[in-house]
Amino acid sequence: MAVWGLGVINNVINWGRGAFNNLISWGIVQKTSPAGDTEIYGLRQDTDVTAFLNVTGITDATITSALDTLATDLKGYGIWDKMKAIYPFVGGTATTHKFNLKDSRDSDAAFRLAFNGGWTHSSNGALPNGTNGYADTFLTPSTSLSLNSTHISVYSRTNNARTNVDIGCEDAFGYRLYTLYNTSGNQDLSRNNNLNGSGLTTPSSLGFILNNRTTSNNMKVTLNNSIVTANSNATNQLSNAKIYIGARNTFNTNADFYSNRQLAFSTIGNGLTDTEASNLYLAVQAFQTTLNRQV
Amino acid sequence: MNIAYLTIEQKDQLVGQQYANDSYFNPILDANDKWVISEEEINFLANHDFLWLNDLPISVYNPKPQTQII
Repeated sequence: MAVWGLGVINNVINWGRGAFNNLISWGIVQKTSPAGDTEIYGLRQDTDVTAFLNVTGITDATITSALDTLATDLKGYGIWDKMKAIYPFVGGTATTHKFNLKDSRDSDAAFRLAFNGGWTHSSNGALPNGTNGYADTFLTPSTSLSLNSTHISVYSRTNNARTNVDIGCEDAFGYRLYTLYNTSGNQDLSRNNNLNGSGLTTPSSLGFILNNRTTSNNMKVTLNNSIVTANSNATNQLSNAKIYIGARNTFNTNADFYSNRQLAFSTIGNGLTDTEASNLYLAVQAFQTTLNRQV
Repeated sequence: MNIAYLTIEQKDQLVGQQYANDSYFNPILDANDKWVISEEEINFLANHDFLWLNDLPISVYNPKPQTQII
């Protein structure tokens, strides 16, 4: 313990075992300071981030900081527990890009990705080739998600007018969950049900795309926090095809609608309220900005 | 988008195998039902069991017509 100043009680530095025992306080002034107590927490890292860094071998300080802020933000917003999979696509290799931040075990059960076909991995994310590249999430909506509460998202760093599915699936019965942007009519044609829907004109395929269902009659797709599709089409069953990234899994037999958009983030999880969806966008955009790869 | 053509026997050798760490071959059929793999799978080849892929000529990909999403 270090002590100085006018009074021994009010000028104390304590180093304890836990973060909250590492307190530096400045005497009488702190009682009237609008800043309140001054606490120095030292090196503190989110435990999920620590696990992710351990399995990926990532030591870069910027990535570490970005991940720590991201996890802290998502937990602070109450979003973290709604996630089944979070793919931050950091580290620049297939080996670092494959891991799920929410559950960083190297197993199919943890929804660790398996990259198939042509991909180019870099510090800006994972770029499928649009020919035969896709990643299997091993996550099947009918077994891992809840009816009327689902979301999928991607952060696209490529703007193009190809008819691509960046994430999604459709089973043999037509139950589907995917994002699809910029068809010939520049429409969003994302699906989160077994019915057809009408998309709105979409300005681009750049940025954070969120396909989100919160109730039986509320499905929205947002691009950078702006609605590009909203409809009340009902759903009565979730797809039993695994979700792919970089293409659509069709009937669990093949991939199609291969994408060639570079992806810098992706999530799969429960439905998000409008506020949660907005906060997720803010957290993801801040994450990308820290990594200097925002669009 | 460029590809390399494969025989059926070559395709069978690649299925389920990795061309680099955590990256699996994905042979697909083109518009003429010929097996192909992408140029990227060859460019990033790190598996020495398949160095023969470097000897395959590269061609322009002719994809199957895409089904319509409704």
